[in-house]
Amino acid sequence: MAATYKPVLWNAHKRIYDTILIAGIVAYLAIFIAVGYATADSANTSLEILTISALGACAFFMLHIVLAIGPLARLSPKFLPLLYNRRHLGVALFVVAASHAIFGTIWYHGYGVINPIVSLFVSNPRYDAIGAFPFESLGVIALVILFLMAATSHDFWLNNLSPAVWKTLHMLIYPAYGSVVLHVLLGAASGHGGSPLYVWAVAAGFAIIVGLHITAGIAQSGRDAATRRNLDGDWIDAGTVADIPEKRARRITTPSGHQIAIFKYDGKVAAISNVCAHQMGPLAEGCIKDGLVTCPWHGWQYDPATGRSPAPYTEKVETFAVRVKDGRVFVAAKPNPKGAAATPAAIG
Amino acid sequence: MGNIESTAAALNLVALYAAAGVIFAILFLLFGITRIDNGAKGAGLGFRLLILPGLIALWPLMLIRWLSGGQPHG
Repeated sequence: MAATYKPVLWNAHKRIYDTILIAGIVAYLAIFIAVGYATADSANTSLEILTISALGACAFFMLHIVLAIGPLARLSPKFLPLLYNRRHLGVALFVVAASHAIFGTIWYHGYGVINPIVSLFVSNPRYDAIGAFPFESLGVIALVILFLMAATSHDFWLNNLSPAVWKTLHMLIYPAYGSVVLHVLLGAASGHGGSPLYVWAVAAGFAIIVGLHITAGIAQSGRDAATRRNLDGDWIDAGTVADIPEKRARRITTPSGHQIAIFKYDGKVAAISNVCAHQMGPLAEGCIKDGLVTCPWHGWQYDPATGRSPAPYTEKVETFAVRVKDGRVFVAAKPNPKGAAATPAAIG
Repeated sequence: MGNIESTAAALNLVALYAAAGVIFAILFLLFGITRIDNGAKGAGLGFRLLILPGLIALWPLMLIRWLSGGQPHG
């Protein structure tokens, strides 16, 4: 959320996150290569091949973490700090995956008479054979997707591609994951995987990712059902004021599916859309800081009375008319336009 | 052999696309970006280098946005 773009909006949290990230990658590669070198048949396993394998395995592991962070953060706010800088993890993932691809291409295709990249695609044309499938092409598909995601990770792209297009582009992480799973499994089938352990690791990782997404989906739908409110004319009874913690929000869902964040602060309540203009983060899980609704994901802020970001920022979200009667909050079922003022209701 | 030639031709097309993207990206960063996004006004070289790969990859989209006059953002 910057008036003038910066390459990275550094803070202490991001520095710690990135330090742990880089240290983790280095440690993973070192341990993988050391253990591989100590246990493998040295006559058939060179340091170069171990390095290529280590980079691939590291990228695959990082991809699992990227995919797990979203559902984990939906299951527990304890995981939100991992979500804040997920884009750094995504860029690092691309760098590791690209290193795996570059070293692999040089090692296996760089010493012939054909251009190595051409050789990568034509050396094995057996697309009809599972045991000898040219699994490299599946890795290329995933790498292209990871590149597009890393290259468009800056907020400039979110703003200029539009949030909907940007989100769709970044949902390609799932086809990328599918390609990588097949890349690893078919690579193992053709003798490049090294150990049957890879197959079991892929199966376990797949089960964890699918399980987390299903669990988070069930939990989310349960929360949606619990927050869904019925209409009372044009107004929705959103429950008692007393049950909303100070400077926090209650999320409700209208019969038409709008998610509303109702904030209580400084003796009044105000209602805005639950969906942050940045990356559609859940504003109701944020809090009021310095009089402003603050998104828990990346700290984007909005005036609760207008849905507008404070100057010089220009982001806007929808507001909802709100009133308080007999200690209960009532919210208009229909949203106001984005950035339209809606007077907060005094608690009285 | 035909397979090698067609693959090499396809890769040449990709290289051509990327070369066009590099030319577009330079022009866009020099003259276009501040017309479509107010957030880029005063932004430094680091930011411009950071979005360079994306501009090279997605240059047709950004060319359309530039030519359409672009609804200034921010």
